[in-house]
Amino acid sequence: MTLSCGEVRDRFEAYGAEALAAGERLAVREHLRSCEPCREEASASDPLFLFAGAGALPVSENETAGVLASVRTGIAFKSAERRLQGPTARRRAGALLSAAAAVALTLLAPGAPARRAPTDALATKSGPAGRSFVPASNPVPAGAILPKAGVTKKYPADATIYDLSPGAGEPRVVWIVDRSLDI
Amino acid sequence: MELVYSAERSRQEARELPDRELAVQARTGDMLAFEALVLRKTPAVVSVARRIVGNAEDARDVAQMAFLRVWEQLSRYDETYSFNTWLYRIATNLAIDFLRSSRSRERAHTATLHLVRMREELTGSETSRSAEDDSASRLFDRVAGRLTGKQKAAFVLREMEDLDTSEIAVILACGESTVRNHLFNARKILRREIERVAPGLAGRSVKKP
Repeated sequence: MTLSCGEVRDRFEAYGAEALAAGERLAVREHLRSCEPCREEASASDPLFLFAGAGALPVSENETAGVLASVRTGIAFKSAERRLQGPTARRRAGALLSAAAAVALTLLAPGAPARRAPTDALATKSGPAGRSFVPASNPVPAGAILPKAGVTKKYPADATIYDLSPGAGEPRVVWIVDRSLDI
Repeated sequence: MELVYSAERSRQEARELPDRELAVQARTGDMLAFEALVLRKTPAVVSVARRIVGNAEDARDVAQMAFLRVWEQLSRYDETYSFNTWLYRIATNLAIDFLRSSRSRERAHTATLHLVRMREELTGSETSRSAEDDSASRLFDRVAGRLTGKQKAAFVLREMEDLDTSEIAVILACGESTVRNHLFNARKILRREIERVAPGLAGRSVKKP
């Protein structure tokens, strides 16, 4: 769209009120860029027209190079920071996942205490070997702690399993401690 | 020698790619592509930041922070959208935050004191002449101090960078009507400030809303 000087001047007020269509607005700006008398008329009608033609501020090559150098340094620093923090973060995530898996397994396993009546928690013989932390042939007395039942392949070899069974009618508590994790 | 030539050639190729493709390549860890983006976009980002924060030194800091954030968040960049809009969004938000910080407030206060002293030394006619002689950018720095960060950003992006209100709405994370509201208020404040700081310039006005 091309506008004459008169048409551009007629649109000054609408320009300032954001009432021009995108094409008209562009045409006014382009005209002002190339027409000195209209530019003077525009800034006389509204001083804010001075800013319309301001354009981008000049940024030297040195400034650009300086920004790039700082960004490179920042990236190197952040990468080093990540390398230092990463393994710990991964270990933490691994530990959390492992703990969550252990809890889920404890609750969902067919022989898990939460799914059985508290009274026969110690006496059960059902469930595959390794799912029950208390060997069926060797029931743990109430209140005893059984370290390393270790008959399951689902836990790491060096994990220690503690089974606290306070007694009939009381909930049974099982801990699985994976010593390979550094929390 | 071959490696140096190869790196230079890759750099040259990267310079010719459009923003979006460079961003996609940078997302895969291509540092040459990322650096080409930084070199290409630094002038625009520094220019916008300079107008919002009011001085070149802080503007360069904002630009550095913006590119670092871009590098950290490249995995979140959705290439169906304009890279420019995404970059401006990050840079503008950082510039607005920077403006709000106590350090910027302190500098703005110092700058205002300087302007007040300068104005006291000048007579009325000299003031208007001085304002007329000022470049648009210097005049903007002098009169934009009373704008909020969002008003300033909206005005700079609309009037000086010539972006659409819809794009500004995406950058400022608000609705188009809010952008228009920011622009309306910014214009009102700027006209009032020009009249105060450079009455000769404002006195030439034929129409005032």
